Amino acid sequence: MDSLVGFVGKNYVIMAGDTNAGRSIMRLKDDFDKLVPIDSHKILAKSGEIGDGNQFCNLIIRNVSLYRIRNETELTTKSVAHYTRRQLATAIRKNPYSVNLLLGGYDKKDQKGSLYYLDYLGSSKKINYGAQGYAALFVGSILDRFWKEDLDFEDGLELMKKCLREVEKRLIIGTRCFLIKMINSDGISVVEKVMINSEKKNEIEEEN
Amino acid sequence: MFTLGSVLDNELKSTVEDFSFETNFSTNQLMLPNIEKPFEFAQSIIGLEKDLQENENQLMFHQQKKEERKERALIKGYKGTTTLAFIYEKGTVIAVDSRATSGQYIASQSVQKVVPINSYMLGTLAGGAADCQFFLAHLGRICNLYELRNNETISVAAASKLLNNILYSYRNYGLSVGSMICGYDTRGPQLYYIDSDGSRLKNSLFSVGSGSPFAYGVLDAGYRWDLSKEEALDLGRRAICAATFKDSYSGGTIKVYHIDENGWVKISDDDASELWYEYEKKEKKEKK
Repeated sequence: MDSLVGFVGKNYVIMAGDTNAGRSIMRLKDDFDKLVPIDSHKILAKSGEIGDGNQFCNLIIRNVSLYRIRNETELTTKSVAHYTRRQLATAIRKNPYSVNLLLGGYDKKDQKGSLYYLDYLGSSKKINYGAQGYAALFVGSILDRFWKEDLDFEDGLELMKKCLREVEKRLIIGTRCFLIKMINSDGISVVEKVMINSEKKNEIEEEN
Repeated sequence: MFTLGSVLDNELKSTVEDFSFETNFSTNQLMLPNIEKPFEFAQSIIGLEKDLQENENQLMFHQQKKEERKERALIKGYKGTTTLAFIYEKGTVIAVDSRATSGQYIASQSVQKVVPINSYMLGTLAGGAADCQFFLAHLGRICNLYELRNNETISVAAASKLLNNILYSYRNYGLSVGSMICGYDTRGPQLYYIDSDGSRLKNSLFSVGSGSPFAYGVLDAGYRWDLSKEEALDLGRRAICAATFKDSYSGGTIKVYHIDENGWVKISDDDASELWYEYEKKEKKEKK
């Protein structure tokens, strides 16, 4: 039921998640932030069980901080992805964390953004664009069609909104409100908290 | 020999019609969904293999064959209650009902569903009564120790995080806790929802239990941050009243508490069935 979308653009990574936290049919919280910052230039977007997500993200954040304190150097996104994957993989046969993640980060060394898809079973893949949850079904094809390498930020934001509009339109479970965050060389910034309302008709339809 | 294991064995092997709640109040109660055919419902809804592994510890004392064990499903408790809490400008309001049910039987109409943690924090009870009472009392002990060791009052965020971590470590043991930690600290009025699945959520209003959808309706319609104290208490009371009117597993008396910078206070304790008709009378008078 959680929707997470992310893709890589020209020197940035843009990620969005819905802001619902619920229990069975009820929405408990309307402004739940699923895009958790690991350090100044990395975001871990969590989906799945709330408790597992909280605890697992805390685990990753604290261990990344510890590494930074011990070794006086920041980890790259690739390293964090590998570490996270290993934690999920060792836990799956013992006390599994039911969380599916998207890890996005910007590395100052390479001056490039990167995005990783991580599964609760311990799978990990570096991707240019992707989504978690039911959104993946709707958004996958849109990103296949319209994503290009080195999209400008304005084009990227437009594409993201296109994806979120599709999720709001087709997913029967109401997720109107999304939080969009962006990572670039300056760090993490909250782009927008969008409230999508697909009831507004397209301009083409109005003309007819 | 009539051991606990053999009693439960017999009950589980029997058909649904044979099973009755009138017996065995002294032994551990299986918490079943409060519907007509609880075992069939549980088996149809919930998976078998995965839940069996999760409950290996609980099921070990049954000493049944593996095949028979595989036929059983995890049976989850049903939170037959209504509790709500919300924060507003002047503090926190908590309102609860006081009914405890086991199946169709009302076990008690005067259960204390609000447990004081310390003088400025309260915890609510929903789900398994024993689980909630124990863990909230335990949280009270931990908070007291914290205050003695650190010479400062514990924040609501910290207290709720302590409880959350404890419950997370027990997350596959079949506990049933749906508690709200409410209080007033240096950051103002605070409210956290803690679950036995390990979730911890911070928000300005929550309602937990079988009657929570009904309570949410009234609560969401009337809630504002800048309510006056009287309006806020009335809103909490009316929301629980609406829930007890619609939900058969909620009722008894409606207890309302208020927390502000001076600590928690019990405001009122009204009979749920009478309160509804009092409100009706009031409205008829106002119309005239």
